[in-house]
Amino acid sequence: MRPSRRTPVLAAFATFVFAWLLTRTSWLEAALKWAFPTEVSWLHPRADLVSLTVEHLAIVAISSGLTVLVGVPLGIWVTRSSGRDFRQLVAASVDLGQTFPPVAVLALAMPVLGFGFKPTIVALFLYGMFPVVSSTIAGLDSVPTSTLEAAKGMGMSPMQVLFRVELPLASRIIMSGIRTSVVINIGTATIGATIGTGGLGVPIIGGLATRNMAYVVEGALPAAVLAVLIDVLLGQVEHGFAVPLQEADSA
Amino acid sequence: MIHLDGVTKRYGDTVAVDDLTLDVAEGEVCVLIGPSGCGKTTTLRMINRLITPTSGRIMINGQDASELKAEELRRSLGYAIQSVGLFPHLDVAANIAVVPRLLGWDKPRLRGRARELLELVGLEPEQYMGKYPRQLSGGEAQRIGVARALAADPPVLLMDEPFGAVDPLNRGRLQGEFARIQRDLHKTVVFVTHDIDEAIRLADRIAIMRDGRLVQYDTPETILDNPVDHFVRDFVGSDRALKRLVRVPVRDVMDTAPPVARRSAGAKEMLAEVGRTRFVYLVDEQGRLTGWLDRAQLKGGCTVEDALSDADPAQVAVRPDASLKEALSRMLGLGFRSIAVVESDGRLVGQVTLGSVEGAMTESDEHQGARPAEHMAEYSAEDTSDDSVLESIASDDQGDCT
Amino acid sequence: MLTRSPDRVALTGAVLALVSALMLPAGTLRPNRLAQGDPHSWLAAGAILAVPMLALLLAVFASFLCSRSLRGHVLSSAGVLLIGGIALSLGALSESLMVDAPSIARVSIGSGTWLMLAGAAIVAFSGWQALMGKESASQGTHVRMVYPLATAAFLFAAVAFGGLDTISLAAEYGIRTAVFWPSVIAHLRLAGVSLVLGLAMGVPLGIIAARDARIRRVALGVTGIIQTIPSLAMLGLLIAPLAALSAAYPVLRQLGIRGIGETPAMIALTLYALLPIVRNTYVGLAEVDPAVVDAGRGMGMSRGQLLWRVEMPLALPLVLEGVRAGAVLLVGITAVTALVGARNLGSFIFEGLGQAAPDLILLGALPIIVLAIVADVGLSFIADAVTPKGVRAA
Repeated sequence: MRPSRRTPVLAAFATFVFAWLLTRTSWLEAALKWAFPTEVSWLHPRADLVSLTVEHLAIVAISSGLTVLVGVPLGIWVTRSSGRDFRQLVAASVDLGQTFPPVAVLALAMPVLGFGFKPTIVALFLYGMFPVVSSTIAGLDSVPTSTLEAAKGMGMSPMQVLFRVELPLASRIIMSGIRTSVVINIGTATIGATIGTGGLGVPIIGGLATRNMAYVVEGALPAAVLAVLIDVLLGQVEHGFAVPLQEADSA
Repeated sequence: MIHLDGVTKRYGDTVAVDDLTLDVAEGEVCVLIGPSGCGKTTTLRMINRLITPTSGRIMINGQDASELKAEELRRSLGYAIQSVGLFPHLDVAANIAVVPRLLGWDKPRLRGRARELLELVGLEPEQYMGKYPRQLSGGEAQRIGVARALAADPPVLLMDEPFGAVDPLNRGRLQGEFARIQRDLHKTVVFVTHDIDEAIRLADRIAIMRDGRLVQYDTPETILDNPVDHFVRDFVGSDRALKRLVRVPVRDVMDTAPPVARRSAGAKEMLAEVGRTRFVYLVDEQGRLTGWLDRAQLKGGCTVEDALSDADPAQVAVRPDASLKEALSRMLGLGFRSIAVVESDGRLVGQVTLGSVEGAMTESDEHQGARPAEHMAEYSAEDTSDDSVLESIASDDQGDCT
Repeated sequence: MLTRSPDRVALTGAVLALVSALMLPAGTLRPNRLAQGDPHSWLAAGAILAVPMLALLLAVFASFLCSRSLRGHVLSSAGVLLIGGIALSLGALSESLMVDAPSIARVSIGSGTWLMLAGAAIVAFSGWQALMGKESASQGTHVRMVYPLATAAFLFAAVAFGGLDTISLAAEYGIRTAVFWPSVIAHLRLAGVSLVLGLAMGVPLGIIAARDARIRRVALGVTGIIQTIPSLAMLGLLIAPLAALSAAYPVLRQLGIRGIGETPAMIALTLYALLPIVRNTYVGLAEVDPAVVDAGRGMGMSRGQLLWRVEMPLALPLVLEGVRAGAVLLVGITAVTALVGARNLGSFIFEGLGQAAPDLILLGALPIIVLAIVADVGLSFIADAVTPKGVRAA
């Protein structure tokens, strides 16, 4: 979607409305009661929507934060002369990793790390690395050689070239990789409920297990809205970054 | 053959083509020329209905173009454009066969036709049939673009700067070949260009356009001699006399019996020949130009082998299709007073001298509009035997040979 | 040419393999398939492994003295040899542990094994890279293909004769042979049918999007939003209305349309397949050189002829790239649909998670990863094969 000037305002407003609606538990219950009159219970007993949402966001924030802290430097390192030998290996691993289904990675974390928050955080952290590393490499590659030559010619040190020229020019592509990574993580985190992680997947999984459609919708609706909202917000951040080298015409 | 009657094209408030009336006779080359934005390309594209006129009528062969189905109309008009637009996924043979295939020709006929057309545009069929567009040079792609336009033998050709994207040397060669093909095929051609030399060289009539209007529509000779206004005068440029030479192909004025000796015949025969004419072209067994021998260079008392100069035909010779202007500028550039004429296979077929160029210029001044022809060739033949010309030939080679 | 500079990638792989062999368990003997067990190290059990391990280290150091192409062969052979050695010695370890153990005991693959395999793969990769380098590219593909084939042969031998069939994963497979293959087929069928449905809708949508800017904005916007919705949430949102519909109209139930099962799964998967296919079809068509389109129109091609004879063949590589991306995506999401009652490989994962049976999880997850990689490689291969010669990358 091509953001217009109104998009940031709309996104902020939608976020506010979403957050406010999460606190209106009685409204939600009434709506679900109307939609599924045959159920006996409409709200999952484990926790209210606000705490489930906060839990969900915390999982994603921790894992994606770690991903960025490790993935971006890794991508930078393999494009420097000190790490160039490893570039092919890292690029090939990232390509291979991106074909792995996220649910398989999540499932493989359980036998190693057990149940709870830890396996989900580790799985999301690892899986989120693939788009971040590949976009960091792609972003740094997109900086024209002539620009680098000019920067060196003006007497910048390698660090100055990196921080004043390369990273600003690559920031938009790197940010798009982070955005992809975060959105995938939000989705995968819902499945994390199957290994006891918590978050918005809890009512969905609970509802599916007990055939309670109200629970399923209670979790699915905010999870869907949350993912779309975060995607739009990160899209705003992405477009706020430095002027791209050439304005892409496609949406 | 093609008749435009009060054709107008408007885009909102801007008028691209304004009430244009134009007749192109059968077998004639009509060149549309003018500054960019003058409406020449719009006019061309209205003829095959890639653009629909706002008003006016276009008749092709007596039939209203708007009454035909657009696709069928276009299949009957050959179309070649500057960017060529060869289909990258098809090989050369299939690219040439696009329109015949649309018309439902069978396979053997398609291949035969492709072979025929490659030969016509001067490309070796066996070598090129299976190539893909990205394996071609710019000049080769343009040639195949022309071959593709000719594929279904359409009576009319529409060409939009077909030689615009190639370097000047290749452009001259392509123009020469186009003139040769047109001499054989007599197509009705509407040709858009912004290059006045190209227009003068190829056109039977030139339509000069400005701001969507037709300013002058005449033969090149008339336009050169009687420009209707300042705009046309400026557009044609101040070197009008020289431009006339663009009209004359080398073939028409060359001396077809230049002094020549076989290199293999040995020093004795070469010396005998050069003693008679002071200057000889040297050829191999197949008659291909390999060098020349100038008597002036023998004076130092050195051997024949030392004195003769090797020739690279691409540098020191012109093709029969080249214009006299090209031959002249080549002579001036090399400091020669004559230049060899060779076929594409390198065979020596004649020579052009400064005298014959001079003759052609005087001639066309005397007979405005008429093409200098056979008696010009006689004149140049006389001229070659003139010692004064010979003595200064290859002046840059006259130094000592140690 | 001598390249005496050490290959740091190979060195890293070798160090990783060595450290994992020394520090981490090769396998775990557990009293039954759910219980925790005792780790067994390579040092205690893996005598067979010493030979390829030593060979690997020797090869890595020797390779520093070799020419580039020779280095490639030395490292590739060493990596492949080590992978084979790990498989065979793991089988041997498992067999020796199972001799004294009751039949319900299991030998699980330990973290040391996985990391050693990774190290060996890194060494083999570094050798492969050297072989793919410019200087040795002339050697042709057949020589290089020896290494993947040798790896496959080693693994087969380890399963067939080396006792690898006694490890817990194989045992888990043994229990479920009857449902395993039907699950693989169900997985492929669900993903495949959805992909075909996605193609049938996505390609026409992409073509329309290339023609009409307004439809393009809507189509790419909507498919983009669909893509961001978590698969589990999407399935949840589809179940409720479908359940209500099938309750209200018994006809639908007779047609097999229910809230739970294959119907919501197929709808969701088809929707997810749309974005890559629509976007790539649109981009592929938009990238066709305008001069080519103008030439085609000028020569008298109708819109349909232009589309099918010129534009689509030129857009084909990108369309197929979209299909490839869609297929990889669907193989993964299909596993999630097991949660709404579609039986496939995902069912093993969720059953395994439910029972806390690690080997059952592996039995679902490993084949899914393999299927995703096969879809990726296979469709890339098909895309290359059907790409018109004239537009193939040189």
